[in-house]
Amino acid sequence: MTAVAEKPAAAKPGTGYPTVASRARDWAIKTPDHVVMREKNLGIWKGLTWAQVWDQVSLAANGLLSLGVDVGDRVSIHSEDRPEWVIMDLAAVAVRGITVGLYPTNPHAEVEYTLNDSTSKIHLAEDQEQADKVIELPAASFPSVERIIYVEPRGIRRSDDQRLLFWDDFLAMGAEYRSNNPTELENLMAQAEADDVMTFVYTSGTTGPPKGAMVTNANADFAMEVILRTKERVQGGKLPGPDDSVLTYLPLCHVAERIFSTWQLVSQSVMLNFGESIESVAQDLREVQPTIFFAVPRVWEKLYAGVQIRGADSSPIKKLFLGSFLKLAAWIGRSRVANGGGWTIGARLAYGIGWVFVYRALRERLGLRRARWTGTGAAPIAPEVLEFFMGLGLNVYELYGMTENSAVATCNLHGRVKVGTVGEAYPAIKGSVRIDEETGEVQTKHLGNFVGYWGKPEQTKETFTEDGWLKTGDVGEWVDGTHLKIIDRIKHIIITAGGKNISPSEIENALKTSPFINEAMVIGDRRKFLAALIAIELDTVGNWANRKNIPYTTYRDLTEKPEVLELIKSEVAKTNERYARVENIREFRLIPKELDHEDGELTATQKLKRSSVEDAFADLIEDMYT
Amino acid sequence: MSLGRPLLRTSYSEDTAIFPTWFQKGAASFLLLSLVLMALGAPVFGDIPKFLLGNTWLNPVSKTLTFAVAALGINILVGVTGQVSLGHAFFMGSGAYTAVVLGGASDDGWRACIPFHDNLGLLEQQGECGLGLPMWIWLPASGAVAAMIGILVSPAAVKVRGLYLAIVTVGLVFIGLHLGRMLPEYAGDFESGRKWPKMDIRLWKEETPLVALNEDGQWFGLIYLSEEQKKFFFLLAVVMLMMWFAKNLVRTRTGRALQAIRDRDVAAEVMGVPEFHYKRLGFAISSFYAGIGGALFASLNGRVSPVDFGLLLSVDFIAILLIGGAGTIAGTILGTLFVELLPRMVEKLTAWMTSKLEGEGTISAIANFLLTSGQEGDFGPISISTTSPGWPMSVFLWNLVIYGVLIVVFLIFEPLGLFGIWLRVRNYWKGWPFSY
Repeated sequence: MTAVAEKPAAAKPGTGYPTVASRARDWAIKTPDHVVMREKNLGIWKGLTWAQVWDQVSLAANGLLSLGVDVGDRVSIHSEDRPEWVIMDLAAVAVRGITVGLYPTNPHAEVEYTLNDSTSKIHLAEDQEQADKVIELPAASFPSVERIIYVEPRGIRRSDDQRLLFWDDFLAMGAEYRSNNPTELENLMAQAEADDVMTFVYTSGTTGPPKGAMVTNANADFAMEVILRTKERVQGGKLPGPDDSVLTYLPLCHVAERIFSTWQLVSQSVMLNFGESIESVAQDLREVQPTIFFAVPRVWEKLYAGVQIRGADSSPIKKLFLGSFLKLAAWIGRSRVANGGGWTIGARLAYGIGWVFVYRALRERLGLRRARWTGTGAAPIAPEVLEFFMGLGLNVYELYGMTENSAVATCNLHGRVKVGTVGEAYPAIKGSVRIDEETGEVQTKHLGNFVGYWGKPEQTKETFTEDGWLKTGDVGEWVDGTHLKIIDRIKHIIITAGGKNISPSEIENALKTSPFINEAMVIGDRRKFLAALIAIELDTVGNWANRKNIPYTTYRDLTEKPEVLELIKSEVAKTNERYARVENIREFRLIPKELDHEDGELTATQKLKRSSVEDAFADLIEDMYT
Repeated sequence: MSLGRPLLRTSYSEDTAIFPTWFQKGAASFLLLSLVLMALGAPVFGDIPKFLLGNTWLNPVSKTLTFAVAALGINILVGVTGQVSLGHAFFMGSGAYTAVVLGGASDDGWRACIPFHDNLGLLEQQGECGLGLPMWIWLPASGAVAAMIGILVSPAAVKVRGLYLAIVTVGLVFIGLHLGRMLPEYAGDFESGRKWPKMDIRLWKEETPLVALNEDGQWFGLIYLSEEQKKFFFLLAVVMLMMWFAKNLVRTRTGRALQAIRDRDVAAEVMGVPEFHYKRLGFAISSFYAGIGGALFASLNGRVSPVDFGLLLSVDFIAILLIGGAGTIAGTILGTLFVELLPRMVEKLTAWMTSKLEGEGTISAIANFLLTSGQEGDFGPISISTTSPGWPMSVFLWNLVIYGVLIVVFLIFEPLGLFGIWLRVRNYWKGWPFSY
């Protein structure tokens, strides 16, 4: 292993180990007037400079100190993405505390579980909706929570819960504390150590209750160094910098958005843009036109479906242009895929022409006109989708990693892209990924490996091999000896009654490339043939039904229309053509309701909870096999 | 940072900018510059203006500019505040009369300004009233007086709406015509009118004006300009100023209040917009514009009679608004140009075709097809003979038909007028390659 992979020497006395907080402070000293955050409020993107951001962090940190937060205490944050999320996160790390993020969609029960599992002391609830999830239950349900800080006062002020504290008052407490103890924060930051746990990232919990993965300062440092500062991953070797901007829209409690927002901010001074809400992402994206864009497959699929649906709705001339240039784009995409993401002269030329007529405008409409690096990860994506966006001239790279290894595993490097794989090990730590010969499981070993699950030593032990490799739980194989291809989660692999091993994810993703299919679950373990439960995409199928003059009322009504069944049948047949006979979907049923996090069918990250879905729709499944 | 991100607004002033993008700034500057160069005689668009409007093309354009000022006023009242008014000609007339009383020369001094001073009640001219004051007094005053009358009329707008308000304001026009007949000291002879204040800028009543607009000559010792050019530039400056003010009015709190009343006055009042106050304000500002426009129009023409400010003029303004696009500044200007200059263009084109009748080739064939001298065996829809009532019609009649057809077509197919067409074109490309 190379230098990066070695444990860093102890920091110089008096300066402390570099944390996300101290990095923010250093930027604030170096470029105080650089605008690094923008938040859209009532139509206006209001900017915050480094000096302003750091001042807020410092006030919040002092506020935490005045509330008695000690080294190692947990501060939980339950909010949509907004500057206060990042400020509180940095403040907690500054006082050597630990940040615990919650998904905004977490229902009551999960909030209760997470706060009590992490024994959070200070809880930040964005608004009344999130605060209610705590204050509606008796105080005894949350023995550890001492204060609940809220940012949006509307509807909360009237509550007489003594634990409630308004954000502005909290900062005022911080200001007072700071004037009385002007050096305490600096002293604390100077004591920061590499092994300090800086955050718990709760796993999404597709099986069993979520576990809090402990990530240390050293883990974060390593992830920033390897992921963000690998030159080979970016076109022209131009690392993310102060000229770049991102839209912060995925949940910040997830490790992916944390890396591409908070860590990218403190490590590279990349500007964060906070949109109005999760519903306005498309509009926000179009306004911000970020230069760096990371999205989960679900978002890419949505963008892809959006182009098709809106294209189908456009006027004849536009349709003609869009249709023919998308065909050209498909060819460009194939050519780029065949060339590792690079350009042949022919593709360049074709793209140049298409740029004038369609691609420039199309990318502007998508909000990706200025995107110079775009990534996908956190779930498998269908190669068709990547090919489509490559055809539009975007540099799309698939990454692979998980919370437990600080998201450091493999990455597609610029010019060496292999679509369908998750890329190769980072150049600086080439030997850090291996595939277990017996089980086929992917394993990693480097400084990003987490220290364990909070309060679950048993499960922590199960996660590591005896010689200290992290077990990812994914089955993979090498492509051309360099690139890693993930086949599926180990526990998802289907063994049919005929004894054939099948990876359902691949088929499911192929199904999901259809704009009409939102979610699909392939079933067939110990069964005669493969079948699937399919959830339709309400927007697109609804739009399709409107165009075909098929009246419908509700989601359920739509799923029961024979025309819709026919439509999905043809989509399934299209997918079947590409697979061997044993991998064909012989039967399918449409799920009569929209899958939902609250009903326990999806995780907070919108991943299927297979066991729950199987239970909930057992009758549909049985119906297919009888 | 927001350069190249046209939709990203970092402040409200950016959001309400008149020309939000550099492209629009550039296009507007280019348009203005080419207009100025054309007026100076530079062949920016070749001979097109001369071809369409004749060699003295600046004159009709100048006249159109005075109408544009008044049209901006009706746009504020009808397009922005939503109060239908057919009384705009009256307000324009009252501005013109204020100008003539204050700025016009007098034979008998101020005594002539007392109505019926010699001969009570008789419709006989007793001399002409005029105070001979300079333009910096009569121009704003004509706006102010018209605005005052507008304020007096405005309570009617709170009482009645829509069609009824239109009828009420029609009454104003007839009152105006009647007064014109009754007060010859002010109006001059009812049919032929009287002399009007000259468009010269003086400090007081001195002999040589500070800035002479009524004769050819050196301007500020810099450039030699003809009378027409001077007047054109002066009017252009006034129109730009009035446009700037109107645009700013629309994008401020006041403008939003006016638009709220347009969209639904009761709802606006519920939201806390005082209905009466803003309707009054709408009338005041609109009449102010009309007054200024009327004064400039009178001054430019040199001789105008009260009959010019009749109902037809009011209808003209409604047509301008409908064809240009109600509620938009650019549309109003476009509409004025269109309505005022189109008849002249049709005439010029007909004259041009007449001159081509004798020749050979396509143009001659088209001319032959369209024109007729009214003699046996010569068919065609347009008559060029001077004595031909009925079919085939003369150019003048055709202009009226075109005018009427345009109003109908715009009302039905493009309620937002010429501006609506522009919007449609813009949105088509804005949405590219989608439709929404």
